Amino acid sequence: MDRKLIGKRVVRNEDPRLLTGHAQFVDDVQLPGMLHAAFLRSEYAHARLLKVDVSKARQHKGVVAVFTAEDMGKDWQPGPPLVSPPPTVKDVVFHSRRQVPLAKDKVRHAGEAIAVVIAESRYIAEDAVEEIEVEYEPLPVVLDLEKALEPGSPLVHDDLDSNLAARLYQKKGDYEAARQQADVIVKRRIYIERGAAAAMENRGIVAHWDAQSEHLTIWDTTQAPIPIRNGTAARLGLSEHQVRVIAPYIGGGFGPKIMMFYPEEMVIPWAAMKLNRPVKWIEDRRENFYATTQERGQIHDVEMALTRDGRVLGLKDDFLHDTGAYDPYGLTIPLNTQSHNMGGYDIRNYSSEFKVVFTNRIIATPVRGAGRPHGIFVIERMMDAAARELGMDPVELRKRNLIPPDAFPYEHQIIDQAFAPLILDSGNYKAVVDKALEMIGYEKFIKEEQPRLRREGKYVGIGVVPFIETTGVGPYEGARVTVEASGKVNVATGIGTQGQGHFTSFAQVVAEQLGVKVSDVRIVTGDTSEFHWGTGTFASRGAVVAGNAVYAAAKSVRQKVLKLASKVLEAPEEELELGDGMVRVADIPQKAISLGELAVLANPLRGAVEAGTEPGLESTSYYGPQYGATAFGTHAMILEVDPETMMIKIRRYVVAEDCGTVLNPLILEGQIHGGVSMGLGNAYYEKLHMDENGQLLNASFADYLLVSSTEMPHIEVAHLETPSPLNELGAKGVGEAGAIPVPALFAQALENAFQERKLEILEMPLSPNRLFELLKDRQAVE
Amino acid sequence: MKIEGEYLFDGPREEVWKLVRDPEVLATCVPGIQTVNKVNDSEFTGEIALKIGPLGGTFGGRVTVSNEVAPESCTLTVEGSGKIGFLKGIGHVVLSEQPGSKTLMKYSGEAQIGGKVASVGQRLFESVSKGMVKQGLDKLNEILKQRSAA
Repeated sequence: MDRKLIGKRVVRNEDPRLLTGHAQFVDDVQLPGMLHAAFLRSEYAHARLLKVDVSKARQHKGVVAVFTAEDMGKDWQPGPPLVSPPPTVKDVVFHSRRQVPLAKDKVRHAGEAIAVVIAESRYIAEDAVEEIEVEYEPLPVVLDLEKALEPGSPLVHDDLDSNLAARLYQKKGDYEAARQQADVIVKRRIYIERGAAAAMENRGIVAHWDAQSEHLTIWDTTQAPIPIRNGTAARLGLSEHQVRVIAPYIGGGFGPKIMMFYPEEMVIPWAAMKLNRPVKWIEDRRENFYATTQERGQIHDVEMALTRDGRVLGLKDDFLHDTGAYDPYGLTIPLNTQSHNMGGYDIRNYSSEFKVVFTNRIIATPVRGAGRPHGIFVIERMMDAAARELGMDPVELRKRNLIPPDAFPYEHQIIDQAFAPLILDSGNYKAVVDKALEMIGYEKFIKEEQPRLRREGKYVGIGVVPFIETTGVGPYEGARVTVEASGKVNVATGIGTQGQGHFTSFAQVVAEQLGVKVSDVRIVTGDTSEFHWGTGTFASRGAVVAGNAVYAAAKSVRQKVLKLASKVLEAPEEELELGDGMVRVADIPQKAISLGELAVLANPLRGAVEAGTEPGLESTSYYGPQYGATAFGTHAMILEVDPETMMIKIRRYVVAEDCGTVLNPLILEGQIHGGVSMGLGNAYYEKLHMDENGQLLNASFADYLLVSSTEMPHIEVAHLETPSPLNELGAKGVGEAGAIPVPALFAQALENAFQERKLEILEMPLSPNRLFELLKDRQAVE
Repeated sequence: MKIEGEYLFDGPREEVWKLVRDPEVLATCVPGIQTVNKVNDSEFTGEIALKIGPLGGTFGGRVTVSNEVAPESCTLTVEGSGKIGFLKGIGHVVLSEQPGSKTLMKYSGEAQIGGKVASVGQRLFESVSKGMVKQGLDKLNEILKQRSAA
């Protein structure tokens, strides 16, 4: 059908509320008699808990209760596993060790919760936390991924033989045979670290148990309210219908606000029921640094086999992945890395084993990109190393190996993070590379500008990095669309929203079908009482999976509207058109009825609804993809390095992206800009520094450097559209895309700026300091 | 974290040693010390108030003197904890005689901190501790000079 609203730059429905301070966030929830919680957190990264003495804290004036693991009795249970180990792969090792509500016997990372104080105010609760006396027996700390796997290493989990949390091997074709045929073998060791998600809003929970109605309401900064409702009901022995989880407006998710069952998510609702008083806990920024999950390090040993003319015959990558003290999120991150290691390239032979390692660090779970930036960094670094070895233009080498447009769907013969076959559904990878090259003026820069700037003494480099992103994974989402008597439309879905613009993009999809204004479509997300079924917002899936459910429900309501209007207006359905909130007969515009009037007729006051029909202009639909849709794009940048201070100035930043059908370019560009800012942080500014005892040293924004407006370049974005054949909208996800190629791109541009010095970058993140050291090392070699 | 340095005292080694080994004197020199109690000749307990960047709090702790070779050298082990975290350190102090009846103190050690004080204060801890050592030793030297003058 003709696209009237999908793909249009519609301003956001939610912005007036957000900009005028009327949107409700968790900390805005105020209830009569509400208590406040503060947690005592471990000072040691690894220690036995010999004694936790809370007697003084309990006597503190204004303290209502203090709970330790002991006090929770039978209710003390580890959190549920969030994803299961892959069932289809041979010889997989997976030891599931999940986080606990409050540490018992032993603490496994600095910041792990040991006790909770619940008091009349947060001030009192914080003061009483300081009255708790803990006797620790410090244990040797496990931090280094390689040493952690050596025999005799101290153990994070005493009941396991080693710190190996998981091992998984996957292959495609025959790498060893490819290696034999190769002219050139390129080998590298690559380190990549990521950082904190650092959402603007920290986590928070309010739990309210109404003993009379036996109903529990939880406001939670979660990305996945339905799994939190289901899990909480199961933990507390309640029906799912006795628990309502509301994820209201949330100031950024980025992964760590997923359905974690954080200790606080287990403890606060339990305490509210126990005390029969509402309880609020709002995380502070310091807690966010060591109590909210992060994404972290991997070490890769990579080998690439090529022919002299630049054809990649095979790739081998064995890597270690740091999961931290527990592994509730299973293998999602390393599987994403493993399935992005081949990028958008037609690589026929692949061999990869990863080992997941327990360490005395905070739990690692997905952060925007979720292992994909690691995979893209690995393949793109190898491409650049190979290009130098072959004396070939790096862009040309990439183009020779991109999957051609006629090869889709392209099956990689391994499984992805959803344990589904890794199939790239559709694409035109060369088109986005060419678009980015054209936008940044690659040829002209290389041939004319760069030599001129170099003569002027400037260190200016260019980078061009293509990438793919698997998005829109299952299992499913649903939506209910209802036309109300006012003529306005209500839509409910089970996912949560943390700033993705769902209130607008979903409204566009519905408004287009029903011929109403976008602002007349009210979207509800993140309230389990509004929609019972669903999974959550993660893996760049909201617009794809929930979006298609919304689309299907809207189309179904449109059919109901047409059917009823046809009867009322005495005209065949084909002659009816929807617009301006009315249904009209095409050639006789005065023969019309409003959607509101139709909605009233569909809910008759007298007489019965006709047999075999349902009341209301309402429909509920579900969508579950067979496998994920794969988005792709190419980023290119020109950066200038100050050779004295190593500070960076980004002169140009261009993005050519293809996420299938664009729902709203304004929102899409916002996602890209946000992603790029996180990617730049991952490349040059953000790093979690830990000392040799596992103490996080930069747990504040004074020391942890987030990218701010002064570091952000102007970003030029071009949209190409290769609709996904997997869903009716043709959509692919884009939430994480902006962040994925940036570290690889940054490294390439830096190498290009210092090509005379033969700079090679095999690690991320860097910093001005680290770049200075690397260049000094190069000088020493020379 | 490593702490290292040296300091030249304007007085003879015997006198410096006496001062260093006198908890009453030390209590007046080290900034922030609130109490010092002698457990025995080589063990002291006490409390110190610290201010590190945005954090402030009192640490209760224990100092143990070992490997004592009077008046030349000793090892100090410090263990403290408070509401803002914990502190552990081990340091070695060597005094050598210098011309003109002066004494050179060389100290080197390693400190480990944890808890809040580590997560937001570690970057500042080094400069704060350097400042405190300098202040303390200056004060000690003052006392030394006063005593020799008396």
